[in-house]
Amino acid sequence: MKRFWLEFAKGIIAENPIFFVVLGLCPALAVSTSMSNAIGMGIAATFVLVCSNVIIAMLRRMIPDKIRIPCFIVVIAAFVTIVEMVLKAYAPALDRSLGIYVPLIVVNCIILGRAEAFASKNPVLLSLADGLGMGLGFVLALLVIALFRETLGSGKLMGLSLSHQFEPAAIMVLAPGALLLMGLLLGGLRWIRSLRSS
Amino acid sequence: MADNNKYIVSAAPHLHKKDDSVSRIMWTVNAVLAPVALMAVFVFDWVALGVMLVSVLSALLTEAVIQRSRGQRVTISDGSAFMTGMLLAFNMPAHVPLWLPAVGSFFAIAIAKQAFGGLGHNIFNPALAGRAFLMAAWPQRMTTFTKPFAVDAVTQATPLMLLKDGKAAGLADMGLGYMDLLIGFRGGALGEVCALALVLGGAYLLARRIISWQTPVSFIVTAGAFGWAFGSPKGFFQGDFLFQVLSGGLLLGAIYMATDYVTSPITKRGQLVFGVGCGLLTGVIRRWGGYPEGVCYAILIMNGAVPLIDRFSQPRRYGVTRREKDGGSARRAS
Amino acid sequence: MDKIVAIIVGNILINNFILFKFLGLCPFLGVSKQTKPAASMGVAVIFVMVSSGAITWLVYRFLLIPFKVEYMTTVTFILVIAAFVQFIEMVILKMSPPLYRALGIYLPLITTNCAVLGVAVLNIGDFFKAGAPVAGSLPLSLLQAFCAGLGFMFMLLLMSGIRERLELADVPEAFEGLPVAFLTASLMGLAFMGFVGLKI
Repeated sequence: MKRFWLEFAKGIIAENPIFFVVLGLCPALAVSTSMSNAIGMGIAATFVLVCSNVIIAMLRRMIPDKIRIPCFIVVIAAFVTIVEMVLKAYAPALDRSLGIYVPLIVVNCIILGRAEAFASKNPVLLSLADGLGMGLGFVLALLVIALFRETLGSGKLMGLSLSHQFEPAAIMVLAPGALLLMGLLLGGLRWIRSLRSS
Repeated sequence: MADNNKYIVSAAPHLHKKDDSVSRIMWTVNAVLAPVALMAVFVFDWVALGVMLVSVLSALLTEAVIQRSRGQRVTISDGSAFMTGMLLAFNMPAHVPLWLPAVGSFFAIAIAKQAFGGLGHNIFNPALAGRAFLMAAWPQRMTTFTKPFAVDAVTQATPLMLLKDGKAAGLADMGLGYMDLLIGFRGGALGEVCALALVLGGAYLLARRIISWQTPVSFIVTAGAFGWAFGSPKGFFQGDFLFQVLSGGLLLGAIYMATDYVTSPITKRGQLVFGVGCGLLTGVIRRWGGYPEGVCYAILIMNGAVPLIDRFSQPRRYGVTRREKDGGSARRAS
Repeated sequence: MDKIVAIIVGNILINNFILFKFLGLCPFLGVSKQTKPAASMGVAVIFVMVSSGAITWLVYRFLLIPFKVEYMTTVTFILVIAAFVQFIEMVILKMSPPLYRALGIYLPLITTNCAVLGVAVLNIGDFFKAGAPVAGSLPLSLLQAFCAGLGFMFMLLLMSGIRERLELADVPEAFEGLPVAFLTASLMGLAFMGFVGLKI
C-alpha cells in the first residue's frame, strides 16, 4: 500500500513530467493561455493516461514484445477518441479552445512514455498510482504556466479581470511568451534545486 | 606546442589593437550617439530625455545586479549596457510611460544578454530583442508616435505608416521633402528622426575603423533597392530609393545595430551576406508585412542565422581543397 | 493562387509549426544540438509528413467518410503513421544502410512527433468542408504538409547553429541546456513575429 503512495507522489514533484522530465510540452505550452483551458486539457490527458496505464498493465503479459508500441498506441488512441467525443458532446466550448491539441493527446510523450516505462512492467494498482501521479503533476504544471500567462498576459484570472491599473503584456498569451516562461521556469526550478542541494 | 597559455580562446568581440579595448570602442560609439540624442530632445522635448535616462539606468542596474548575483565582476563601466539602453530608447516613441523602457531594458539585458552568458555570448542584439519584446507585449504603446515640435502629445503617423496604410503614395502626399527626413522634422522613434546625425556618426565610426562598411552598405543598398523595385503602389521600379533609406529605422539599424560585433558575422563575406539578408527582409516586411517597419525584425532574424553564416563562410585553410575524392585531408564541415 | 501563397508563407513563416504551434517541440529540442543531425532529421520529417499526409488524406476520403466513421480519425491516422514509419524504416535498412545510418534512427522519433499527426489533422480541418473535400484538396494538403515540414527543418537548422555556438558561451549554470534553448526559441519567435500579417 505504501508503494501505491510512493508511485503516486513521484509524479507530482520529483519526476514532474513537464518540469523535470520535460515531456509532453506541445499541449502544455499551446493551451495554457488560460487556467480553464489548462484544467480542461489536464483532466482530459490524465483520464487517458490513467485508463491506458490500467489497461496496458492488465494486458502486459499478453502483448508481444515486437509489436508493443503499436499496441500501446491503439489503446491510447481508443481512450483519446472517447475523450474527443465526450468533449464534443458535453463541453463544445472547451473543445473549440483546445482545438487540434485534443487528438494530439495520443502522441503526448508522457502517456506513451509511462506505458513503455512503467505500465508494461508493473501490476495494475501501481500503474494506476503512477498514472494518477503523473497526471496530477501534469495538471499542476499546466496550472502554474497558465497562472502566469493568464495574469500577466490578459490581466485576468479564471476569466475575471484583475486590477485595472495593470497593463497586461500581450506577449505572454502568445507563443514566444510561453517559450520565455518555460525557459525561465525551468532555469528557476533548477536554480532552486541547486540551492537546496548545496 | 610550448606556449599554450599564449592562445587565448574567447568569444567575440575579438580585438587586436592594444589601445582599442572594449570600453573604448563602446564609449566612442556612445559619444557618437550623443548628437542623435540631442536631436531627439530638440524634436520631441524633454520627455525624450526621460525615456533615454530610464532606459539607460534600467540597463545598468539590471546588469550590475545580475553580475553581482553570479559572483562576477560588475562591468557596467564598459559602456555596453549603456549603449543597449540608449539604442533601445532610440527605438521607442517619445511619449511612452516610463515603465515601458524600464521593462524593455530589463528584458534586453537580463534575458537577451546575461542569460546567454553576458557580453560576447549573446546571439541576438539585446536592444532589438528588447524592442521586439515590448512590441509584442504592448503593441499599442509602441506604435503611437507623436507629432514633432508639438506642445502636447499629439499623435501622428510616421511616413512609413502612411505609406503602409495607403494614405500617401510618396513624400509629396505627406507634405514632406527629403530635407525634412534628413534633419528630423517628421514623426518616428527617438533615434530615427535625424538622419543627418546618424549618417555623420556612421561616417566617423567608419573612419575610425570601428565599424566596417560591408554590413551597413549592403543593408542600406539592398533595402533601398527593394523599396525602389517593389515599394510603390504605382507599379514596379517606381519606388523612392531615397525615401526608403531615410525613413524609419533603416539608418539607425544598419549603422549602429547590425554592426554590433557580437551578433554579426566574423568574416567580411559573411557580413555582406548578413547585410543583404537584412535588407531583403526589411524590404519584404515593409512592402507586404503587417508592420510598417521591418528593420528590427530583419536584424533579429539574421542574428539567428549568424552562427550558420559564420560556419559556411569560414575561410579556407591553406593547402586544403574543398573535397578530395580519395577521402584525404578534405575540409570537414564540423 | 492566393491560397497557395498563403499556405507557403503561413506554414513556414507566420504560424511556424515549432515556434508558434509548438508542434514538434520535443524532437526540436532534442535533435537541435548539432547541425548535421538536425539536417538529417529535417529531411526525414519532411518526407514522413508529406507521405503520411497523402496516405491519411486518402484514408479519410475513401475509407472514413464513406463508412461514416470520421470519429475514428485519431485512431486510424496514428496507426497509419506508426505503420508507415515502421515500414519505411525497414525499407531503408534493407535498401541503403548508409541512408539508414544517416536518417533511420530518427524515424521512430518521428512517430510521436506532434507535427506529423498535427498536419494530418490540420489538413482535414482546412481542406474538407461538411464531409467532402474542397477544390484541390489533395494537392493543397500535400503542399501544406511539405511547407510545414520545411518550416520545421528551417527552424531546426537555425536552432542547431545557435546551440552549437551556445556550447561555448558562459551561460549561467541553472540555465545551461534546455532553459537557454527555450529562451532562444522565444527570441526566435519574437524575431519571426515580424511576419505577422504578411500578405503577398
